[in-house]
Amino acid sequence: MRHESPPVLVCWLLESVVPARYREAMLGDLIEEYNLRAESASPPIAARWIWSQACRSVASIAWSWLCSGNWLISMSIAAGVYIVVGTLKLAVDLSISRLVAPQQATQVVLAPVVFLSAAAIGGCVAARVRRGAMIFLALMVMITVAVSIERKVCTIPVPWWYELGFLTLGPLAVLITPALTGLLVPRAAQPGK
Amino acid sequence: MKRGELLGSLEHIILLALARLDGGAHGMIVRREIEKRTGRSISIGAAYATLERLEAKGYVSSFTGEPTAERGGRAKRLFRIEAAGKRALQVSEQTIRSMTGLRSRWENL
Repeated sequence: MRHESPPVLVCWLLESVVPARYREAMLGDLIEEYNLRAESASPPIAARWIWSQACRSVASIAWSWLCSGNWLISMSIAAGVYIVVGTLKLAVDLSISRLVAPQQATQVVLAPVVFLSAAAIGGCVAARVRRGAMIFLALMVMITVAVSIERKVCTIPVPWWYELGFLTLGPLAVLITPALTGLLVPRAAQPGK
Repeated sequence: MKRGELLGSLEHIILLALARLDGGAHGMIVRREIEKRTGRSISIGAAYATLERLEAKGYVSSFTGEPTAERGGRAKRLFRIEAAGKRALQVSEQTIRSMTGLRSRWENL
């Protein structure tokens, strides 16, 4: 029997969201049935099925997580990380604008680098303390950027795609960096490896 | 089971499925059994979240199986209904039966 690999994004999504207590068992069940469906029907049908299962599972897990009250702890951790990293970022921004590069053009180039680094560091710290905190931190970053754009906090004129970059890449940096740096639990070894 | 506490509908169905699949079943088998018998399609996430809740209440127990290649090298977690779970099912069904009796009387009025 040939084993199809399930979509990587589905695995990543579930590995990020499903509690560690039953992550391996649940993913194993999904992969087992995905393989059966890919063989009996076709890989695209199996992919549709696994995506629907993943989306519905994420909703169910999020709901039971909200009902358990654990989200309050995660939100508090995210708020703590947000304040600490936000203060550090502000300090770096001020140093750059006053000491290193007072010119506007240099600031426009350096601002995304500082912002994405701060988001990535914040994501790693939050993921290390508690996985759920990372999701709250991503939401906080997104809301902060949206409010800053709406209130026109940035006095330097910049194109729309520059602002959109902050809005999308900031939360993504929070969510993806911990996975890239291996802070999230690595997937179980594939058979034969 | 605390006095007056009833099982939720999904908890009830999952306990019944485990009672049917006596000897231990993993989440996907439970999910398929429910789909086959009730026509209700539940997600694997909902099944595991409920099984965890039932385990915390002492109604089911779980043990880990061997990892297999079809599962991408991941181990199975097999669930089994416990005596407390069977009692909870009895209490829940008794309550439903007594309330159904009440409804029949009301309908005959």
